[in-house]
Amino acid sequence: MDLLELRRQDYSLDEDHQLLLTAFGEFFSEQSPTSLVRECEPLGFSQDLWNRLVEMGGTSMGLPESVGGDGAGMIELTLVAEEFGRAIAPVPYIEHTVTARALAAAGESTVLPAALDGSHIVALASFPVQAGSPQLVPAGAVARSVLALVGDDLVLFTVDTPPAHVVNQGSTPLAWWDFDAIADRAVLATGARAHEIYDRAHDERMTLTAAALVGLTEPALNIAVEFSKTRETMGVPIATLQGVSFPMTDVAIAIAGARNVARKAAWYLEHAPDERPELPAIAMVYASQTATKGTQVTAHLQGGLGFTIEADASLYFLRSKGWGALAGDPQAKLIAIGDHVLNTVN
Amino acid sequence: MDFTLVELDDDHRQLQQEIRTFLEGLFTPDVFAEEHETGSGYNKKVYEELGARGWLYPEKPVEEGGAGFDLVAERIMDLELFRQDARVMMMRGTSSLPLKAIRKYMPADVADPILKDAVEGRVLVCLGYSEPDGGSDIANAKVRAVQDGDMWTINGSKMWTTGAHVSNYTFLVTRTDPDAPKHKGITMFLVPLDTPGVTIQGIRTFSGERTNIVYYEDVVIHDKYRVGGINDGWNVLHGPLDEEHSIGLDMSGGLTDLSIGAGFCRVLGRAINEVAEWAHKTPAPDGSSLADDVQVRERLGAAMVEYEAGLCTPGPMGRVKASDALVQQSASLIDLMGPVGLLPLHADGAVGEADTEYAHRFAQGTATYGGTVEVFRTIIANHVLGLPKPNYPGAKVFMAGKKK
Repeated sequence: MDLLELRRQDYSLDEDHQLLLTAFGEFFSEQSPTSLVRECEPLGFSQDLWNRLVEMGGTSMGLPESVGGDGAGMIELTLVAEEFGRAIAPVPYIEHTVTARALAAAGESTVLPAALDGSHIVALASFPVQAGSPQLVPAGAVARSVLALVGDDLVLFTVDTPPAHVVNQGSTPLAWWDFDAIADRAVLATGARAHEIYDRAHDERMTLTAAALVGLTEPALNIAVEFSKTRETMGVPIATLQGVSFPMTDVAIAIAGARNVARKAAWYLEHAPDERPELPAIAMVYASQTATKGTQVTAHLQGGLGFTIEADASLYFLRSKGWGALAGDPQAKLIAIGDHVLNTVN
Repeated sequence: MDFTLVELDDDHRQLQQEIRTFLEGLFTPDVFAEEHETGSGYNKKVYEELGARGWLYPEKPVEEGGAGFDLVAERIMDLELFRQDARVMMMRGTSSLPLKAIRKYMPADVADPILKDAVEGRVLVCLGYSEPDGGSDIANAKVRAVQDGDMWTINGSKMWTTGAHVSNYTFLVTRTDPDAPKHKGITMFLVPLDTPGVTIQGIRTFSGERTNIVYYEDVVIHDKYRVGGINDGWNVLHGPLDEEHSIGLDMSGGLTDLSIGAGFCRVLGRAINEVAEWAHKTPAPDGSSLADDVQVRERLGAAMVEYEAGLCTPGPMGRVKASDALVQQSASLIDLMGPVGLLPLHADGAVGEADTEYAHRFAQGTATYGGTVEVFRTIIANHVLGLPKPNYPGAKVFMAGKKK
């Protein structure tokens, strides 16, 4: 890597970004309290919340103006994803957003109008389709179309009724999709272009998931912080013990860094996608580590209480992996990041 | 948000070339050899030649001996110095901290000549903060200064006074009221190090840097060397720092680092590049290149994640994160290389510039100097997370040992 590049490293948000953050922050905190999150288990989907998000412009904002969207870029979507994560909202915001954007990039026009108005949820297959191997598709239990790679073709599979939900640790709408059995398939792109669109959608999913995991970890940490201030041992709040305060401090440090990495990855995807192609994976890996550690610290810090289903800490803990693992194995991503390092030395 | 490459205008481009050419001529092999030998973080010729051009502190206005560099020019200079691996520039950074306090608190007739010489590279100021049994707890200073008319007598010892042996003055934390609460009985002095009674003893660290223990035995200095009010030392010490930190927002348009940890990350970045190059050149047992080995790829990926995380974490948090990242990943990269990773610069068969071997030794100091990572974690716990401060018995003890 070039350590001598004279680049700006300005992470500040402008006024529009701040307003967007506030608007969606308020929306999600009002519309998606943890009581709703619990009500929607185990499916992890609220049709009512989805409708409200559509009204708020959540499904149209990231689509180009040419197809009727609002033309927002990755930075804006990443800010929304962070607020979405903070509320652990039971809607397929990330899956739908990145897939609809891929459809627009591929010039798809049959499903896209209904994706734009949220009436037709779309999702992205995590792995290339292989005959005889159904796969678990994130949001697959509520999506009517799934975008997938079949060989060198980018194919949109559509069904009338989504397949059955399978219960899972993160209470998300996962479902098995047996692509072999689906007749309604449209080839949207082939060859290099197919891979380009699919890879871009994956990069966007990693970046938005990273932001969502950062958002998810922060309220979890707040639970730990508040608990530690009031719970006493030996006559002092446990927060005064370094064995308690330092793990929380390390989580706060990780959140601050992971947030900036995710936003930086979004900036590069938007403005200079070829210059730092490894950033979405870096953002995803670091956010995943941050969420895994952060929610574990929160659950554990409350001792047995944090281990109970009643504790809100459990909601964040179960989703740290339940959301994080949907975007693929972080360890596998390290190899791709390492390849990038190896390819960029002289 | 903005991560664009800075497009240099003609003036900046010309300046960049001028700086690069000048530094290439300045940083000759004997400069590096001397630094390797002494570990002083200083070179007389380099400082005086940079100072003569106003390039030692180029951000200062021309009338103060600087070059009036704007943020872009300043960044160009920093990167060009990094290109030269200018470890000899360390004392510049150290020396720059007390200069602000000297300007603000000392009478002009004393301060001006010192500031002029400092900016021109002829005077260095080191930090007399830590004590042998004090470490990062500066407010606990025990070195005594006792007033007698216009003169002060100083007794005690300071530890980790890096650069004392090449400096002209030390910016000294002294105890002037042992009966006051510990933050309120401190006075700052600028002590000329050639005053009788000052003894400097070198200490070598395993990063190759030299630091010092400095003994003060009946050192008598004039009151004109006092910096700020009597017993107001804590404010003097923090004033310049608070001023820098109070801004909170990055006003530089992204032309400054998010934290001092960015410097640690660059050392890690060099090591990552070195290991990547080494992997390409090194055959695996089966005859392929180590660059194809999945473990090598994964370890480099892990190091890269930590590098980026350190770079992106702001402020005091970034200081902690980058130090942790450098400590852990430099060790991991040496493990990856095996025995050859242990060879220092100039050793037979050393890899590249032995940046990885150095990074692993250098890393350990980053967790300590300028306040340990534990001190910073405590600050973050109290000020960012709002956690209550622990009530340790020593926290409120008055220096004379009695409680009020």
